[in-house]
Amino acid sequence: MIHWPVAITGLGCICAAGGTVPDCLDSLYAGRRAPVPPTRFSTSHPTAFPVFEVRDFREPPELLRTSALGVQAAAEALADADLSPEELRGLRVGVCVGTTVGSALNDEGFCRAHRAGEEPDLFPMERILNSNPAAAIARAFGCTGPCQTVVNACASGTDAVGLAASWIRGGICDVAIAGGADELGRITYHGFISLMITDDSPCKPFDRDRKGLNLGEGAGMLVLESEQVRARRGARARSFVMGYGSACDAHHLTAPHPDGAGLRQAVAEALACCAVAAERVAFVNAHGTGTPDNDRVESRVLAELFPGVPYHSTKGHTGHTLGAAGGIEAVFTVACLERGVVPASAGFENVDPELAGEPLRGNREVAGDFALSQSLAFGGSNSVLLFGKGDAE
Amino acid sequence: MRLSVRGIGIVGAFGTGVESFEKALVEGQVTVGSIEVATGEGVQAVPAYRADTAGLEEFVPKRSLRRVDHYSKLALLGSFLALKDAGMLDSGLSRVGLVIASGYGATATTYAFLDSLISGGDTCASPTHFANSVHNAAAANVAITLGIRGPSLTVSQFDMSVPSALVSARQWLAEGRVDTVLFGAIDEVSELVAYLQHRRRGPRHAPAMAPLDAGAESSIIGEGASFLLLTRDEGAPAYCGIDSVETGNLFGTQLSLPSDALLLLGADGRSELGRRYQDAVPEGAQAACYTPIYGSMPAAAGFDLAAAALALKAGRAFASPAGPGPFVPAPAAVSRICSLRLAGPSEYATIVMSKL
Repeated sequence: MIHWPVAITGLGCICAAGGTVPDCLDSLYAGRRAPVPPTRFSTSHPTAFPVFEVRDFREPPELLRTSALGVQAAAEALADADLSPEELRGLRVGVCVGTTVGSALNDEGFCRAHRAGEEPDLFPMERILNSNPAAAIARAFGCTGPCQTVVNACASGTDAVGLAASWIRGGICDVAIAGGADELGRITYHGFISLMITDDSPCKPFDRDRKGLNLGEGAGMLVLESEQVRARRGARARSFVMGYGSACDAHHLTAPHPDGAGLRQAVAEALACCAVAAERVAFVNAHGTGTPDNDRVESRVLAELFPGVPYHSTKGHTGHTLGAAGGIEAVFTVACLERGVVPASAGFENVDPELAGEPLRGNREVAGDFALSQSLAFGGSNSVLLFGKGDAE
Repeated sequence: MRLSVRGIGIVGAFGTGVESFEKALVEGQVTVGSIEVATGEGVQAVPAYRADTAGLEEFVPKRSLRRVDHYSKLALLGSFLALKDAGMLDSGLSRVGLVIASGYGATATTYAFLDSLISGGDTCASPTHFANSVHNAAAANVAITLGIRGPSLTVSQFDMSVPSALVSARQWLAEGRVDTVLFGAIDEVSELVAYLQHRRRGPRHAPAMAPLDAGAESSIIGEGASFLLLTRDEGAPAYCGIDSVETGNLFGTQLSLPSDALLLLGADGRSELGRRYQDAVPEGAQAACYTPIYGSMPAAAGFDLAAAALALKAGRAFASPAGPGPFVPAPAAVSRICSLRLAGPSEYATIVMSKL
């Protein structure tokens, strides 16, 4: 079944690269990045693994930082789409948000106090239960449509955008706010260190000397809109969600399939459902975490399915923002496709002879009409979005 | 597009499988167990509906389950039972998608990971617990064990997880992404969940759930898995059809409910929600509530769907185990059921199911 395109009329983003989409793009094109040891939480780990934190952002006390980041990115996306609260009230607006920590009953202070035989204040747990990211965004903007918090690990944000596009096509809602949001904290930080897949220096996706990922935090949101509503408003499409594919490796809990079986299937689905040939793809925003396994599998699949197509990873600017990554990278992919310039893959210097290709070394102009963003996740989930060029400005 | 429910795999305090579930619904009672939890006043037993996953050994060798936690075992058992019930255990699963809805995820493993960090220090966090605490770990274990290579989705929307996930499962089928969806609802009782219950409801816990008594604080935590095998309704034998799924926020507007359907209420003894249910149900409407069979948990909506499917297949509704409350009791014959779920001040979901 061929899927018709779904318009993207607004973008919003907050991450270590910047507090807004234009700020982030400036950082990406300028090659700026500044991972530092964590400042928002303490650690007694002897190695200071650098992270990409969002600076100058303070969440309200009643809301999880994850959800507050999501609300901020959604506000920017709605403003970009020129959708006022009054206009939203007359529409059925859905919210679909990916996260890894936004709905987990996971509070170290609470657990520590309970283990010590105290009766800890329930507030941290109540805050989690009141902060489900999709529900929090729906409350903030009065959205009456379906709400969904997707927890597909690091593919969550990509899946959320693909699912929201499906909701629009199915007439389930008129407008959807979709993307991903995740905060960085001690639990995630030490969890990833325990898996021994973090780099103690700034991450180097696809580089010969890559040692792992740097964690990050943030949120990326897109406003998707039905053609009926868009025509009535005269809204310009910045881009279109053309295709979406997702597939499971069914192989291992934390490692990707060595042949990239699920990723290949997800790419095939994303292209087939909109009948776009692989050679029409102008560039790929790769998952590119900087871990030896991920980059090996991904570069192999890219070389085979998209020979000669430029690709890059933006995690050298943002860190791996986990559930937010798919949302943030969807925003970047759309904005870069619109501008026709793809930023260099930050952190890449030395070609790895074991990899099948290499990412972009410098910013490059591209002329094609389509761009791909892909995510690989714990649990063997692979998700891919294909974006098409929007209306002329 | 109408869906059909082709298979049910279910495990809870009532036992394992459709027959045990149906027997409990007919009899209207289940033995409630408990879980011991450390509190400020020492160890306390908190009433809980507990599920046993021993039945999984019928499908998977015990030794291969050594590193699989209780939460994922619930998912695996529900999956195998649903495939068996639909006669698909030996079928190819290439066009199958997997959707799992859970309110809280693997809370025991999450707490165990925190324990490793607290007791061992920042350098001793457990990688095994961390990897298994990820919300989609159950979906991954099901996919790996069954070889499901289609799309996989895990949704965690607290009380709205099940209807929310069903919206996307339905779209997968409507758009032809897959031909079958293995759709599961899971939640587990853990020390953390029990401790939260104790703090909110303790020290005196209700001896039994009375969900239709809006003034009573009678919730008892539960756990289990309810899996449905869903396809597009193309005339094949099935339990029932799913006609519509709607979720969202009311924000002060009036909830619209079908007048020709039995209302299956998700009330579970939490008084703050009990009043919302009472206000939502129109005067004279027929209503039932089966949560005293499986307990209070976010994924209970999945058990509501399984109960509705059984009632529609038989053409007769089960009586509410704790009595009809202020509502008109369920009729003897039933051909249409609307599962109603309410959460927070304004969230709602309606899932309308009907006899084939």
